[in-house]
Amino acid sequence: MSTQLLTYISVNDGKIKRSSLEVLSRCNQLAEKHGGTSAAIVISDSVSGIADELKQYGPSAIYTIEDPIFKNHLNTPLLRAMSKAVEEIQPSVVAFASTEGSKDILGALAANKKAAALPDMSEFELSDGGVKGKRPVMASKIISAVEATGSPVFISVRSGSYDVAENETNPEITSIPFSFSDDDLKITLREIISASSDRIDLNEAEAVVAAGRGVKDEEGRELISELASVLNAGIGASRALTEAGAYDPSLQIGQTGKVVSPQLYIGVGISGAIQHVAGMANSKVVVAINKDPDAPIFDIADYGLVGDLYKVLPPFIEELKKVKSEK
Amino acid sequence: MKFYVCIKQVPDVNAPLQIKEGHLIQDSDRNILNAYDASAVEEALVLTEKHGGEVEVVLIGSEKAKETLRKALAMGAHKGTHILSDADETYDSYGYAQILAAFFKDKEYDYISCGKQSQDTDAGLTGSMLAEMLNLPYTTNAVGLVANGESLVVKRQGDTGQEMIELPSPGLVTCSNDMNDPRIPSLKGIMQSKRKPVDTIAISDLSGSASEAGAKTTILAYEEKPEREPGKKFEGEPEDIAREVARLLDTEANVI
Repeated sequence: MSTQLLTYISVNDGKIKRSSLEVLSRCNQLAEKHGGTSAAIVISDSVSGIADELKQYGPSAIYTIEDPIFKNHLNTPLLRAMSKAVEEIQPSVVAFASTEGSKDILGALAANKKAAALPDMSEFELSDGGVKGKRPVMASKIISAVEATGSPVFISVRSGSYDVAENETNPEITSIPFSFSDDDLKITLREIISASSDRIDLNEAEAVVAAGRGVKDEEGRELISELASVLNAGIGASRALTEAGAYDPSLQIGQTGKVVSPQLYIGVGISGAIQHVAGMANSKVVVAINKDPDAPIFDIADYGLVGDLYKVLPPFIEELKKVKSEK
Repeated sequence: MKFYVCIKQVPDVNAPLQIKEGHLIQDSDRNILNAYDASAVEEALVLTEKHGGEVEVVLIGSEKAKETLRKALAMGAHKGTHILSDADETYDSYGYAQILAAFFKDKEYDYISCGKQSQDTDAGLTGSMLAEMLNLPYTTNAVGLVANGESLVVKRQGDTGQEMIELPSPGLVTCSNDMNDPRIPSLKGIMQSKRKPVDTIAISDLSGSASEAGAKTTILAYEEKPEREPGKKFEGEPEDIAREVARLLDTEANVI
């Protein structure tokens, strides 16, 4: 029997997350290589526009589950919906982008289906009767080659592991009936404390500017904002700065926070502790600005600028503006 | 409030690690209480100190792992259970969750908590697997816990913001290590921990599902991570090095 791959499409504010399209693109490749199918599933309070947009990314089928309960992230209804979808579609592999939302349900879903789960994969391939691939372990210092067999195998994939490929198809869109009883909802969402909505999502950003301990005051934070604005970059921070309250906790990059893999990462005033590096080491090009020439971040930076960020950033921002304006 | 905190002994990721023929070798044999679990213990201690109750820690591991159970008792946990496993037996998240589910089956508690992931595998699956096996409501990635009468209000870090979730009892919560600084056991705490009750049970003493526990996933090998090569380092006048790097990002790296 050919392998049926199913990608969960994560949606935020009505927009498809790039990380989900990366996973879908990889599943399309594997389906083509092994003669299987690659379907996508959207679970949201409003799916129509999203399902249409998905057609340009080449899934062989699109499944949707629409219900007002999915307006905000709640694990129980999402778990029940995915469980139902897996029963209907009978996929052999279910792939998620590794986001906080998917991390919240991946284990429970695997337990619900008595199936194997491989989280946070940096690469994956189909094997005889399952999935094999690689995932970073030990604070991303070591790579573990792993395999799971059975059907389905649930996996989640680190953002930036694969490129998004467009390939317009005309797949059938199938709505899966779903109802959720409020009695089943034991947890209650009381409030969402959102940081500003115009912010660029770190997992999705092509460029990331990260602030570290060297960024000491409002002036430093303004320089960070300006640099990010010139590059259309997402802003991240080290644990020291989120703990000090200088940046929102959702912006923390590292083993405990977000894992980012942009084309360009600029670490400003960041020393490069392993916990932080675990969250950014897969960035394509790394720039580090630090006044300590022995800071460990210089060991992994493609371009290291040794100097006081308060003196280096103003001319750096001006030069980047010039380069941009010449384009 | 009765809290059970599931804890794990893990290799210290800061200690030197090397790989020989696909196996992970840790020369120092430095093992520690998983940092995320330490945060879960700390949070349970703070809540029970404030509102009354008891904290019991549960650990699956070999005889050697008992030292980590003692560490949590020295922090202030009231009692411990050591589910003794054969050092040669390997479990993945699913296996651990199955053993814990069998242990909790006939227990009474308000909340089970654990770290959101363990520092060795970084998998982050066991908590929600256990919740599903026990049919408990759960919240993952907690960055704040507040007792609210019979419930816990959990602040969890979501993808774009923080979600305030009311988690009724009995329930399960997994903790980030961003929520507190776990206390360092005092000498008095260490002395007291030696007198605290620890039950030791064998996996085979637990009911059906535990004896079938194993691994649904296989580690084929460990590999060195390809090191990033250090690139060019620029020192000098801020204006000069800023200009040079900005140009190189455009012409050499092609990222702007």
